Amino acid sequence: MMLLEATNLRKHFGKHTSVDGISFDIEQGSCVALLGPNGAGKTTTLRMLAGLLEPDSGLISFDGGQPGGDYRKALGYLPQAPSLYGWMSGQEYVLFAAKLSGLNSREAADRGAEVLERVGLKEHARRRISGYSGGMKQRLGLAQALVHRPRLLLLDEPVSALDPLGRREVMELLRDIRDETTIVFSTHVLHDAEEICDHIILMNRGRIAEQGPLASLRSQYSLPVIRLRTEKMSGARKWLEELASRSFVLESRFAGEDVMFNVNDVELARHTILSEAVSREIPLLHFETGSSTLEDLFMKVVGA
Amino acid sequence: MRSVWIFYQKEMLEAVRSYRLIWIPVVFILLGIMQPLTAYYMPEILGAAGNVPPGMLENYEVPSAAVVMVQALGQYSTIGMLVLALITMNSISGERYSGSAEMVLVRPLTPLAMVVAKWAALLTVLVLALGLGASGAAYYVMELIGPLSWGGISSAAGLYGLWLMCAVSLTLLFSAFLRATAAAFLGLLSAAAFSLAHSLLPAWFDWTPAALPGLSAAMLLEDGGALRLGPLLSAPLFIISCIAGAALLLRRKQLPG
Ligand SMILES: Nc1ncnc2c1ncn2[C@@H]1O[C@H](COP(=O)(O)OP(=O)(O)O)[C@@H](O)[C@H]1O
Ligand SMILES: [Mg+2]
Repeated sequence: MMLLEATNLRKHFGKHTSVDGISFDIEQGSCVALLGPNGAGKTTTLRMLAGLLEPDSGLISFDGGQPGGDYRKALGYLPQAPSLYGWMSGQEYVLFAAKLSGLNSREAADRGAEVLERVGLKEHARRRISGYSGGMKQRLGLAQALVHRPRLLLLDEPVSALDPLGRREVMELLRDIRDETTIVFSTHVLHDAEEICDHIILMNRGRIAEQGPLASLRSQYSLPVIRLRTEKMSGARKWLEELASRSFVLESRFAGEDVMFNVNDVELARHTILSEAVSREIPLLHFETGSSTLEDLFMKVVGA
Repeated sequence: MRSVWIFYQKEMLEAVRSYRLIWIPVVFILLGIMQPLTAYYMPEILGAAGNVPPGMLENYEVPSAAVVMVQALGQYSTIGMLVLALITMNSISGERYSGSAEMVLVRPLTPLAMVVAKWAALLTVLVLALGLGASGAAYYVMELIGPLSWGGISSAAGLYGLWLMCAVSLTLLFSAFLRATAAAFLGLLSAAAFSLAHSLLPAWFDWTPAALPGLSAAMLLEDGGALRLGPLLSAPLFIISCIAGAALLLRRKQLPG
Protein backbone atom coordinates (compact mmCIF):
# COMPACT_ATOMS: atom_id res chain seq x y z
CA MET A 1 0.00 0.00 0.00
CA MET A 2 1.21 3.47 -0.80
CA LEU A 3 1.55 5.82 2.12
CA LEU A 4 2.52 8.84 0.12
CA GLU A 5 2.39 9.69 -3.54
CA ALA A 6 4.22 12.67 -4.93
CA THR A 7 3.52 13.68 -8.48
CA ASN A 8 5.54 16.08 -10.55
CA LEU A 9 6.80 18.25 -7.70
CA ARG A 10 8.52 21.42 -8.72
CA LYS A 11 10.06 24.23 -6.71
CA HIS A 12 12.20 27.15 -7.74
CA PHE A 13 13.86 29.95 -5.81
CA GLY A 14 14.31 33.00 -7.98
CA LYS A 15 15.81 31.80 -11.26
CA HIS A 16 17.14 28.60 -9.77
CA THR A 17 15.03 25.45 -10.04
CA SER A 18 15.78 23.37 -6.97
CA VAL A 19 13.33 20.55 -7.63
CA ASP A 20 12.43 19.97 -11.21
CA GLY A 21 9.31 17.87 -11.61
CA ILE A 22 9.91 14.73 -9.58
CA SER A 23 7.45 11.90 -8.93
CA PHE A 24 7.76 9.02 -6.53
CA ASP A 25 5.76 6.80 -4.20
CA ILE A 26 6.54 5.84 -0.64
CA GLU A 27 5.30 2.43 0.28
CA GLN A 28 3.88 1.86 3.75
CA GLY A 29 6.48 0.33 6.01
CA SER A 30 9.40 0.94 3.69
CA CYS A 31 12.63 2.77 4.37
CA VAL A 32 13.53 5.08 1.54
CA ALA A 33 16.83 6.87 1.07
CA LEU A 34 16.80 10.15 -0.74
CA LEU A 35 20.33 10.05 -2.04
CA GLY A 36 22.21 12.80 -3.80
CA PRO A 37 25.10 15.21 -3.60
CA ASN A 38 24.83 18.62 -1.95
CA GLY A 39 22.45 20.88 -3.79
CA ALA A 40 20.57 17.98 -5.37
CA GLY A 41 17.29 19.22 -3.91
CA LYS A 42 16.88 16.73 -1.06
CA THR A 43 16.12 19.29 1.63
CA THR A 44 13.72 21.15 -0.62
CA THR A 45 11.92 17.88 -1.40
CA LEU A 46 11.65 16.88 2.26
CA ARG A 47 10.39 20.33 3.22
CA MET A 48 7.66 20.05 0.60
CA LEU A 49 6.70 16.61 1.92
CA ALA A 50 6.66 18.07 5.43
CA GLY A 51 4.30 20.85 4.37
CA LEU A 52 6.88 23.51 5.21
CA LEU A 53 7.30 24.63 1.62
CA GLU A 54 4.52 25.03 -0.88
CA PRO A 55 5.44 23.30 -4.17
CA ASP A 56 5.19 25.57 -7.22
CA SER A 57 3.31 22.76 -8.89
CA GLY A 58 2.65 19.08 -8.36
CA LEU A 59 0.63 17.06 -5.91
CA ILE A 60 1.29 15.23 -2.68
CA SER A 61 -1.26 12.75 -1.49
CA PHE A 62 -0.97 11.08 1.91
CA ASP A 63 -2.52 7.71 2.63
CA GLY A 64 -4.81 7.88 -0.36
CA GLY A 65 -6.26 11.20 0.80
CA GLN A 66 -6.99 14.33 -1.18
CA PRO A 67 -3.83 16.04 -2.47
CA GLY A 68 -3.22 19.08 -0.31
CA GLY A 69 -4.79 17.51 2.77
CA ASP A 70 -3.26 18.23 6.17
CA TYR A 71 -1.38 15.18 7.45
CA ARG A 72 0.99 16.97 9.82
CA LYS A 73 -0.27 15.03 12.82
CA ALA A 74 0.97 11.84 11.19
CA LEU A 75 4.38 13.30 10.42
CA GLY A 76 7.66 13.22 12.30
CA TYR A 77 10.36 15.53 10.98
CA LEU A 78 13.99 16.09 11.80
CA PRO A 79 15.61 18.92 9.83
CA GLN A 80 19.16 18.93 8.57
CA ALA A 81 20.42 21.26 11.31
CA PRO A 82 17.93 20.78 14.12
CA SER A 83 17.70 23.69 16.50
CA LEU A 84 16.31 22.70 19.85
CA TYR A 85 15.71 25.32 22.53
CA GLY A 86 18.94 25.13 24.52
CA TRP A 87 17.33 26.55 27.66
CA MET A 88 14.89 23.63 27.88
CA SER A 89 15.69 20.23 29.27
CA GLY A 90 15.43 17.25 26.95
CA GLN A 91 12.30 16.15 28.74
CA GLU A 92 10.67 19.56 28.46
CA TYR A 93 11.34 19.68 24.74
CA VAL A 94 9.87 16.27 24.07
CA LEU A 95 6.75 17.10 26.10
CA PHE A 96 6.37 20.42 24.33
CA ALA A 97 6.65 18.68 20.95
CA ALA A 98 4.20 15.96 21.93
CA LYS A 99 1.59 18.44 23.13
CA LEU A 100 1.91 20.52 19.97
CA SER A 101 1.20 17.37 17.99
CA GLY A 102 -2.04 16.90 19.86
CA LEU A 103 -1.21 14.51 22.71
CA ASN A 104 -2.79 15.36 26.03
CA SER A 105 -0.55 15.99 29.03
CA ARG A 106 -0.72 12.46 30.28
CA GLU A 107 -0.04 10.75 26.96
CA ALA A 108 2.72 13.25 26.37
CA ALA A 109 4.37 12.39 29.68
CA ASP A 110 4.12 8.64 29.08
CA ARG A 111 5.29 8.74 25.50
CA GLY A 112 7.97 11.30 26.32
CA ALA A 113 9.53 9.05 28.93
CA GLU A 114 9.29 6.12 26.54
CA VAL A 115 11.07 7.76 23.62
CA LEU A 116 13.72 9.33 25.82
CA GLU A 117 14.57 5.93 27.18
CA ARG A 118 14.49 4.53 23.69
CA VAL A 119 17.10 6.97 22.40
CA GLY A 120 19.21 6.51 25.50
CA LEU A 121 18.63 9.92 27.05
CA LYS A 122 16.75 8.83 30.14
CA GLU A 123 19.59 9.80 32.47
CA HIS A 124 20.03 13.15 30.78
CA ALA A 125 16.34 13.99 30.46
CA ARG A 126 16.47 16.73 33.08
CA ARG A 127 19.62 18.38 31.84
CA ARG A 128 19.56 21.53 29.73
CA ILE A 129 19.85 20.82 26.03
CA SER A 130 22.58 23.45 25.70
CA GLY A 131 24.86 21.04 27.55
CA TYR A 132 24.20 18.08 25.22
CA SER A 133 26.77 16.74 22.77
CA GLY A 134 26.06 16.71 19.04
CA GLY A 135 25.11 13.04 19.14
CA MET A 136 22.79 13.57 22.10
CA LYS A 137 21.08 16.47 20.37
CA GLN A 138 20.55 14.35 17.28
CA ARG A 139 19.09 11.55 19.39
CA LEU A 140 16.80 14.06 21.10
CA GLY A 141 15.87 15.25 17.61
CA LEU A 142 14.83 11.69 16.82
CA ALA A 143 12.91 11.45 20.08
CA GLN A 144 10.91 14.58 19.34
CA ALA A 145 10.18 13.29 15.84
CA LEU A 146 8.94 9.97 17.21
CA VAL A 147 7.07 11.03 20.30
CA HIS A 148 3.62 11.25 18.72
CA ARG A 149 3.96 7.91 16.87
CA PRO A 150 4.10 9.38 13.38
CA ARG A 151 3.19 7.20 10.44
CA LEU A 152 5.84 8.84 8.29
CA LEU A 153 9.24 9.90 9.55
CA LEU A 154 11.16 12.44 7.47
CA LEU A 155 14.83 12.77 8.38
CA ASP A 156 17.10 15.23 6.62
CA GLU A 157 20.71 14.04 6.68
CA PRO A 158 20.36 12.58 10.17
CA VAL A 159 23.95 11.34 10.42
CA SER A 160 25.90 13.70 8.20
CA ALA A 161 27.06 16.09 10.90
CA LEU A 162 27.97 13.43 13.45
CA ASP A 163 31.30 11.93 14.42
CA PRO A 164 31.71 8.18 13.76
CA LEU A 165 30.48 7.22 17.21
CA GLY A 166 27.39 9.42 17.07
CA ARG A 167 26.77 8.23 13.56
CA ARG A 168 26.83 4.60 14.66
CA GLU A 169 24.39 5.29 17.52
CA VAL A 170 21.90 7.03 15.28
CA MET A 171 22.18 4.37 12.56
CA GLU A 172 21.47 1.66 15.12
CA LEU A 173 18.41 3.59 16.27
CA LEU A 174 17.16 4.00 12.73
CA ARG A 175 17.59 0.29 12.10
CA ASP A 176 15.39 -0.24 15.13
CA ILE A 177 12.74 2.34 14.24
CA ARG A 178 12.50 1.02 10.71
CA ASP A 179 10.24 -1.81 11.85
CA GLU A 180 7.70 0.53 13.39
CA THR A 181 7.13 3.23 10.88
CA THR A 182 7.81 4.40 7.37
CA ILE A 183 11.06 6.31 7.01
CA VAL A 184 12.32 8.68 4.35
CA PHE A 185 15.81 9.92 5.01
CA SER A 186 18.17 11.94 2.93
CA THR A 187 21.89 11.45 2.72
CA HIS A 188 24.77 12.19 0.43
CA VAL A 189 26.53 8.98 1.43
CA LEU A 190 25.58 5.87 -0.53
CA HIS A 191 26.89 3.63 2.21
CA ASP A 192 24.39 5.03 4.74
CA ALA A 193 21.56 4.42 2.33
CA GLU A 194 22.64 0.85 1.62
CA GLU A 195 23.00 0.13 5.30
CA ILE A 196 19.40 0.55 6.34
CA CYS A 197 17.16 1.31 3.37
CA ASP A 198 15.30 -0.91 1.02
CA HIS A 199 14.48 1.76 -1.53
CA ILE A 200 16.62 4.43 -3.09
CA ILE A 201 15.68 7.64 -4.84
CA LEU A 202 18.81 8.99 -6.44
CA MET A 203 18.60 12.73 -7.06
CA ASN A 204 20.85 15.14 -8.85
CA ARG A 205 20.23 18.76 -9.79
CA GLY A 206 16.60 18.66 -8.85
CA ARG A 207 15.80 15.56 -10.87
CA ILE A 208 15.46 11.91 -10.04
CA ALA A 209 18.24 10.08 -11.83
CA GLU A 210 17.19 6.62 -10.75
CA GLN A 211 14.84 5.08 -8.24
CA GLY A 212 13.70 1.68 -7.14
CA PRO A 213 14.26 -1.13 -4.68
CA LEU A 214 17.87 -1.40 -3.63
CA ALA A 215 18.17 -5.05 -4.70
CA SER A 216 16.86 -4.49 -8.19
CA LEU A 217 19.04 -1.40 -8.70
CA ARG A 218 22.02 -3.48 -7.62
CA SER A 219 21.39 -6.20 -10.14
CA GLN A 220 20.42 -3.75 -12.83
CA TYR A 221 23.69 -1.90 -12.44
CA SER A 222 25.83 -4.91 -11.97
CA LEU A 223 27.60 -4.69 -15.35
CA PRO A 224 30.98 -6.15 -16.20
CA VAL A 225 33.75 -3.63 -15.69
CA ILE A 226 37.50 -3.53 -15.92
CA ARG A 227 39.46 -1.15 -13.76
CA LEU A 228 43.09 -0.40 -14.44
CA ARG A 229 45.82 1.96 -13.47
CA THR A 230 49.12 2.64 -15.10
CA GLU A 231 52.16 4.56 -14.13
CA LYS A 232 52.11 8.16 -15.20
CA MET A 233 53.59 8.37 -18.70
CA SER A 234 52.33 9.80 -21.94
CA GLY A 235 52.46 6.52 -23.91
CA ALA A 236 50.27 4.85 -21.34
CA ARG A 237 47.76 7.62 -21.42
CA LYS A 238 47.55 7.48 -25.19
CA TRP A 239 47.04 3.76 -25.08
CA LEU A 240 44.24 4.06 -22.53
CA GLU A 241 42.44 6.60 -24.62
CA GLU A 242 42.83 4.33 -27.62
CA LEU A 243 41.34 1.44 -25.67
CA ALA A 244 38.32 3.53 -24.80
CA SER A 245 37.31 3.60 -28.45
CA ARG A 246 37.48 -0.16 -28.99
CA SER A 247 34.26 -1.96 -29.83
CA PHE A 248 34.15 -4.03 -26.63
CA VAL A 249 34.15 -0.88 -24.48
CA LEU A 250 30.66 0.48 -23.88
CA GLU A 251 31.65 3.34 -21.66
CA SER A 252 34.77 4.62 -20.03
CA ARG A 253 35.58 6.87 -17.11
CA PHE A 254 38.93 8.47 -16.50
CA ALA A 255 40.04 9.75 -13.13
CA GLY A 256 43.74 10.66 -13.25
CA GLU A 257 45.66 7.46 -14.00
CA ASP A 258 42.64 5.36 -12.99
CA VAL A 259 40.37 4.14 -15.72
CA MET A 260 37.15 2.21 -15.62
CA PHE A 261 35.72 0.52 -18.68
CA ASN A 262 32.23 -0.89 -18.93
CA VAL A 263 32.67 -3.79 -21.32
CA ASN A 264 30.39 -6.18 -23.15
CA ASP A 265 32.89 -9.02 -23.48
CA VAL A 266 35.12 -9.50 -20.47
CA GLU A 267 37.18 -12.32 -22.04
CA LEU A 268 38.02 -10.37 -25.14
CA ALA A 269 38.67 -7.19 -23.19
CA ARG A 270 40.97 -8.88 -20.72
CA HIS A 271 42.93 -10.63 -23.43
CA THR A 272 43.32 -7.54 -25.53
CA ILE A 273 44.31 -5.26 -22.69
CA LEU A 274 46.84 -7.62 -21.14
CA SER A 275 48.51 -8.62 -24.36
CA GLU A 276 48.74 -5.04 -25.58
CA ALA A 277 50.16 -3.96 -22.25
CA VAL A 278 52.92 -6.53 -22.65
CA SER A 279 53.69 -5.81 -26.29
CA ARG A 280 53.74 -2.04 -25.79
CA GLU A 281 55.62 -2.29 -22.51
CA ILE A 282 53.01 -0.33 -20.59
CA PRO A 283 53.82 -0.08 -16.83
CA LEU A 284 50.56 -1.52 -15.54
CA LEU A 285 50.02 -1.01 -11.81
CA HIS A 286 46.55 -2.38 -11.31
CA PHE A 287 44.22 -4.56 -13.30
CA GLU A 288 40.89 -5.86 -12.09
CA THR A 289 37.79 -7.35 -13.62
CA GLY A 290 34.53 -7.20 -11.74
CA SER A 291 31.09 -5.80 -11.90
CA SER A 292 29.98 -2.27 -11.38
CA THR A 293 28.35 -1.30 -8.13
CA LEU A 294 25.87 1.28 -7.00
CA GLU A 295 28.90 3.34 -6.09
CA ASP A 296 29.73 3.50 -9.79
CA LEU A 297 26.17 4.48 -10.61
CA PHE A 298 26.27 7.13 -7.91
CA MET A 299 29.59 8.51 -9.14
CA LYS A 300 28.32 8.53 -12.69
CA VAL A 301 25.17 10.43 -11.77
CA VAL A 302 27.00 12.87 -9.57
CA GLY A 303 29.84 13.37 -11.95
CA ALA A 304 27.61 13.98 -14.94
CA MET B 1 -6.45 27.42 20.49
CA ARG B 2 -4.70 24.75 22.53
CA SER B 3 -1.54 25.16 20.49
CA VAL B 4 -1.55 28.90 21.25
CA TRP B 5 -1.67 28.08 24.94
CA ILE B 6 1.12 25.49 24.70
CA PHE B 7 3.32 27.88 22.78
CA TYR B 8 2.50 30.72 25.17
CA GLN B 9 3.62 28.58 28.09
CA LYS B 10 6.87 27.88 26.29
CA GLU B 11 7.38 31.61 25.68
CA MET B 12 6.75 32.43 29.33
CA LEU B 13 9.09 29.68 30.50
CA GLU B 14 11.72 31.17 28.22
CA ALA B 15 11.04 34.63 29.67
CA VAL B 16 11.63 33.22 33.14
CA ARG B 17 14.74 31.22 32.25
CA SER B 18 16.31 34.18 30.45
CA TYR B 19 15.50 36.44 33.44
CA ARG B 20 13.55 38.71 31.08
CA LEU B 21 10.59 38.53 33.42
CA ILE B 22 12.78 40.06 36.13
CA TRP B 23 15.10 42.54 34.51
CA ILE B 24 12.51 44.30 32.39
CA PRO B 25 10.19 45.07 35.31
CA VAL B 26 13.27 46.19 37.25
CA VAL B 27 14.23 48.61 34.48
CA PHE B 28 10.65 49.91 34.34
CA ILE B 29 10.51 50.39 38.11
CA LEU B 30 13.82 52.25 38.15
CA LEU B 31 12.75 54.49 35.28
CA GLY B 32 9.42 55.16 36.96
CA ILE B 33 10.65 56.06 40.43
CA MET B 34 13.58 58.11 39.19
CA GLN B 35 11.27 60.87 37.98
CA PRO B 36 9.54 61.73 41.30
CA LEU B 37 12.83 61.34 43.16
CA THR B 38 14.78 63.72 40.91
CA ALA B 39 11.89 66.20 40.79
CA TYR B 40 11.68 66.29 44.55
CA TYR B 41 15.35 66.31 45.36
CA MET B 42 16.42 68.58 42.51
CA PRO B 43 17.61 71.41 44.78
CA GLU B 44 19.71 69.02 46.85
CA ILE B 45 21.12 67.36 43.76
CA LEU B 46 22.09 70.70 42.23
CA GLY B 47 23.37 71.96 45.56
CA ALA B 48 25.59 68.95 45.99
CA ALA B 49 27.03 69.54 42.54
CA GLY B 50 28.22 72.94 43.82
CA ASN B 51 28.72 76.26 42.02
CA VAL B 52 25.02 76.99 41.61
CA PRO B 53 24.39 80.72 41.64
CA PRO B 54 22.58 81.62 44.88
CA GLY B 55 19.01 82.67 44.36
CA MET B 56 18.55 80.25 41.51
CA LEU B 57 17.40 77.50 43.75
CA GLU B 58 14.95 79.75 45.51
CA ASN B 59 12.82 79.87 42.41
CA TYR B 60 12.72 76.12 42.07
CA GLU B 61 9.27 74.81 42.49
CA VAL B 62 8.54 71.10 42.65
CA PRO B 63 6.20 70.37 39.72
CA SER B 64 2.72 69.15 40.51
CA ALA B 65 2.06 65.50 41.22
CA ALA B 66 0.22 65.06 37.92
CA VAL B 67 3.04 66.61 35.91
CA VAL B 68 5.65 64.38 37.54
CA MET B 69 3.53 61.31 36.92
CA VAL B 70 3.19 62.28 33.25
CA GLN B 71 6.95 62.72 33.03
CA ALA B 72 7.48 59.36 34.69
CA LEU B 73 5.33 57.61 32.08
CA GLY B 74 7.13 59.63 29.39
CA GLN B 75 10.34 57.83 30.38
CA TYR B 76 8.92 54.66 28.88
CA SER B 77 8.76 56.14 25.41
CA THR B 78 12.55 56.20 25.17
CA ILE B 79 14.46 53.69 27.24
CA GLY B 80 11.34 51.65 27.93
CA MET B 81 10.59 51.41 24.22
CA LEU B 82 14.20 50.45 23.50
CA VAL B 83 14.09 47.65 26.06
CA LEU B 84 10.84 46.35 24.60
CA ALA B 85 12.24 46.47 21.08
CA LEU B 86 15.27 44.51 22.26
CA ILE B 87 13.18 41.65 23.59
CA THR B 88 10.82 41.71 20.62
CA MET B 89 13.35 41.82 17.82
CA ASN B 90 14.53 38.25 18.23
CA SER B 91 11.20 36.77 18.95
CA ILE B 92 10.25 35.51 15.49
CA SER B 93 13.45 36.28 13.66
CA GLY B 94 15.54 34.24 16.08
CA GLU B 95 13.38 31.17 15.60
CA ARG B 96 13.36 31.54 11.85
CA TYR B 97 17.09 31.89 11.43
CA SER B 98 18.08 29.30 14.00
CA GLY B 99 15.74 26.74 12.47
CA SER B 100 13.65 26.13 15.57
CA ALA B 101 10.63 27.62 13.77
CA GLU B 102 10.91 24.84 11.21
CA MET B 103 10.67 22.24 13.94
CA VAL B 104 7.52 23.63 15.52
CA LEU B 105 5.71 24.73 12.38
CA VAL B 106 5.95 21.21 10.97
CA ARG B 107 3.57 20.22 13.74
CA PRO B 108 -0.07 21.21 13.69
CA LEU B 109 0.82 24.75 14.80
CA THR B 110 -0.21 27.51 12.43
CA PRO B 111 1.99 30.56 11.94
CA LEU B 112 -0.91 32.62 13.30
CA ALA B 113 -1.02 30.60 16.52
CA MET B 114 2.72 31.05 16.93
CA VAL B 115 2.54 34.82 16.38
CA VAL B 116 -0.44 35.25 18.70
CA ALA B 117 1.30 33.25 21.45
CA LYS B 118 4.44 35.33 21.10
CA TRP B 119 2.43 38.54 21.12
CA ALA B 120 0.54 37.46 24.23
CA ALA B 121 3.79 36.65 26.02
CA LEU B 122 5.17 40.09 25.15
CA LEU B 123 1.94 41.64 26.39
CA THR B 124 2.31 39.76 29.66
CA VAL B 125 5.83 41.09 30.16
CA LEU B 126 4.72 44.61 29.26
CA VAL B 127 1.73 44.57 31.60
CA LEU B 128 3.88 43.32 34.44
CA ALA B 129 6.67 45.81 33.82
CA LEU B 130 4.41 48.80 33.24
CA GLY B 131 2.12 47.88 36.10
CA LEU B 132 4.98 47.66 38.59
CA GLY B 133 6.80 50.65 37.09
CA ALA B 134 3.78 52.95 37.14
CA SER B 135 2.81 51.80 40.64
CA GLY B 136 6.32 52.52 41.89
CA ALA B 137 6.29 55.94 40.30
CA ALA B 138 2.83 56.71 41.67
CA TYR B 139 3.86 55.61 45.14
CA TYR B 140 6.79 58.04 45.30
CA VAL B 141 4.79 60.83 43.69
CA MET B 142 2.14 60.49 46.37
CA GLU B 143 4.66 60.12 49.18
CA LEU B 144 6.81 63.05 48.18
CA ILE B 145 4.70 65.44 46.16
CA GLY B 146 0.99 65.15 46.40
CA PRO B 147 -2.09 63.02 45.98
CA LEU B 148 -3.23 61.45 42.73
CA SER B 149 -6.25 59.32 41.95
CA TRP B 150 -5.47 55.65 41.31
CA GLY B 151 -8.19 55.68 38.65
CA GLY B 152 -6.42 58.41 36.74
CA ILE B 153 -3.08 56.64 37.12
CA SER B 154 -4.35 53.33 35.82
CA SER B 155 -6.13 54.79 32.83
CA ALA B 156 -3.06 56.88 32.00
CA ALA B 157 -0.81 53.84 32.33
CA GLY B 158 -3.24 51.76 30.29
CA LEU B 159 -3.27 54.26 27.44
CA TYR B 160 0.50 54.48 27.55
CA GLY B 161 0.71 50.70 27.53
CA LEU B 162 -1.51 50.57 24.46
CA TRP B 163 0.90 52.88 22.67
CA LEU B 164 3.88 50.77 23.71
CA MET B 165 2.07 47.64 22.59
CA CYS B 166 1.56 49.20 19.15
CA ALA B 167 5.32 49.65 18.89
CA VAL B 168 5.92 46.09 20.13
CA SER B 169 3.45 44.69 17.60
CA LEU B 170 5.11 46.59 14.79
CA THR B 171 8.54 45.30 15.80
CA LEU B 172 7.08 41.81 15.95
CA LEU B 173 5.83 42.27 12.39
CA PHE B 174 9.30 43.31 11.23
CA SER B 175 10.80 40.40 13.12
CA ALA B 176 8.73 38.01 11.02
CA PHE B 177 10.73 38.72 7.86
CA LEU B 178 13.86 40.66 8.85
CA ARG B 179 16.97 40.00 10.88
CA ALA B 180 16.62 40.89 14.55
CA THR B 181 18.61 44.13 14.56
CA ALA B 182 16.90 45.44 11.44
CA ALA B 183 13.54 44.65 13.03
CA ALA B 184 14.37 46.55 16.23
CA PHE B 185 15.80 49.48 14.31
CA LEU B 186 12.79 49.78 12.00
CA GLY B 187 10.35 49.30 14.88
CA LEU B 188 11.92 52.11 16.92
CA LEU B 189 12.32 54.34 13.88
CA SER B 190 8.68 53.96 12.89
CA ALA B 191 7.48 54.69 16.42
CA ALA B 192 9.66 57.82 16.53
CA ALA B 193 8.51 58.92 13.07
CA PHE B 194 4.93 58.38 14.10
CA SER B 195 5.34 60.48 17.23
CA LEU B 196 7.12 63.21 15.32
CA ALA B 197 4.42 63.29 12.66
CA HIS B 198 1.83 63.60 15.38
CA SER B 199 3.59 66.51 17.05
CA LEU B 200 4.11 68.32 13.74
CA LEU B 201 0.65 67.76 12.32
CA PRO B 202 -1.57 66.97 15.30
CA ALA B 203 -4.75 67.58 13.33
CA TRP B 204 -3.86 64.89 10.82
CA PHE B 205 -2.60 62.27 13.23
CA ASP B 206 -5.04 62.85 16.05
CA TRP B 207 -6.93 59.65 15.41
CA THR B 208 -3.83 57.43 15.21
CA PRO B 209 -2.15 55.47 18.03
CA ALA B 210 0.51 58.21 18.13
CA ALA B 211 -2.04 60.38 19.97
CA LEU B 212 -2.15 57.91 22.86
CA PRO B 213 0.70 59.38 24.95
CA GLY B 214 -1.09 62.75 24.75
CA LEU B 215 -4.35 61.17 25.82
CA SER B 216 -2.57 59.41 28.62
CA ALA B 217 -1.17 62.74 29.89
CA ALA B 218 -4.62 64.34 29.66
CA MET B 219 -5.98 61.61 31.93
CA LEU B 220 -3.74 62.92 34.70
CA LEU B 221 -3.56 66.62 33.94
CA GLU B 222 -7.17 67.31 33.12
CA ASP B 223 -8.58 64.91 35.63
CA GLY B 224 -10.50 62.54 33.46
CA GLY B 225 -9.72 64.49 30.29
CA ALA B 226 -11.56 64.09 27.04
CA LEU B 227 -11.23 60.48 25.98
CA ARG B 228 -11.21 60.50 22.20
CA LEU B 229 -12.39 57.38 20.46
CA GLY B 230 -10.12 57.61 17.38
CA PRO B 231 -6.85 56.42 18.94
CA LEU B 232 -8.68 53.92 21.11
CA LEU B 233 -10.09 52.21 18.05
CA SER B 234 -7.19 52.64 15.66
CA ALA B 235 -4.65 51.17 18.11
CA PRO B 236 -6.29 47.73 18.43
CA LEU B 237 -6.87 47.69 14.69
CA PHE B 238 -3.23 48.52 14.13
CA ILE B 239 -2.14 45.77 16.50
CA ILE B 240 -4.41 43.20 14.87
CA SER B 241 -3.06 44.12 11.44
CA CYS B 242 0.49 43.70 12.68
CA ILE B 243 -0.30 40.25 14.05
CA ALA B 244 -2.11 39.18 10.90
CA GLY B 245 0.69 40.56 8.72
CA ALA B 246 3.34 38.79 10.79
CA ALA B 247 1.46 35.49 10.47
CA LEU B 248 1.13 35.88 6.69
CA LEU B 249 4.79 36.77 6.24
CA LEU B 250 5.87 33.91 8.48
CA ARG B 251 3.82 31.52 6.41
CA ARG B 252 5.48 32.72 3.23
CA LYS B 253 9.01 33.21 4.46
CA GLN B 254 9.38 30.84 7.33
CA LEU B 255 12.49 29.13 6.02
CA PRO B 256 15.58 31.08 5.14
CA GLY B 257 17.59 29.28 2.44
N1 LIG C 1 15.21 29.02 0.57
C1 LIG C 1 16.01 28.96 -0.51
N2 LIG C 1 16.28 30.07 -1.21
C2 LIG C 1 17.07 30.03 -2.31
N3 LIG C 1 17.64 28.92 -2.78
C3 LIG C 1 17.42 27.78 -2.13
C4 LIG C 1 16.60 27.73 -0.96
N4 LIG C 1 16.56 26.45 -0.52
C5 LIG C 1 17.33 25.75 -1.38
N5 LIG C 1 17.85 26.53 -2.34
C6 LIG C 1 18.71 26.07 -3.46
O1 LIG C 1 18.14 24.93 -4.01
C7 LIG C 1 19.14 23.98 -4.34
C8 LIG C 1 18.83 22.66 -3.68
O2 LIG C 1 19.00 22.83 -2.29
P1 LIG C 1 18.69 21.70 -1.23
O3 LIG C 1 17.31 21.22 -1.43
O4 LIG C 1 19.03 22.27 0.08
O5 LIG C 1 19.72 20.55 -1.64
P2 LIG C 1 20.31 19.37 -0.76
O6 LIG C 1 19.52 19.26 0.49
O7 LIG C 1 20.18 18.18 -1.64
O8 LIG C 1 21.74 19.71 -0.51
C9 LIG C 1 20.46 24.57 -3.91
O9 LIG C 1 21.10 25.06 -5.07
C10 LIG C 1 20.09 25.68 -2.98
O10 LIG C 1 20.98 26.74 -3.10
MG1 LIG D 1 20.12 19.39 2.38
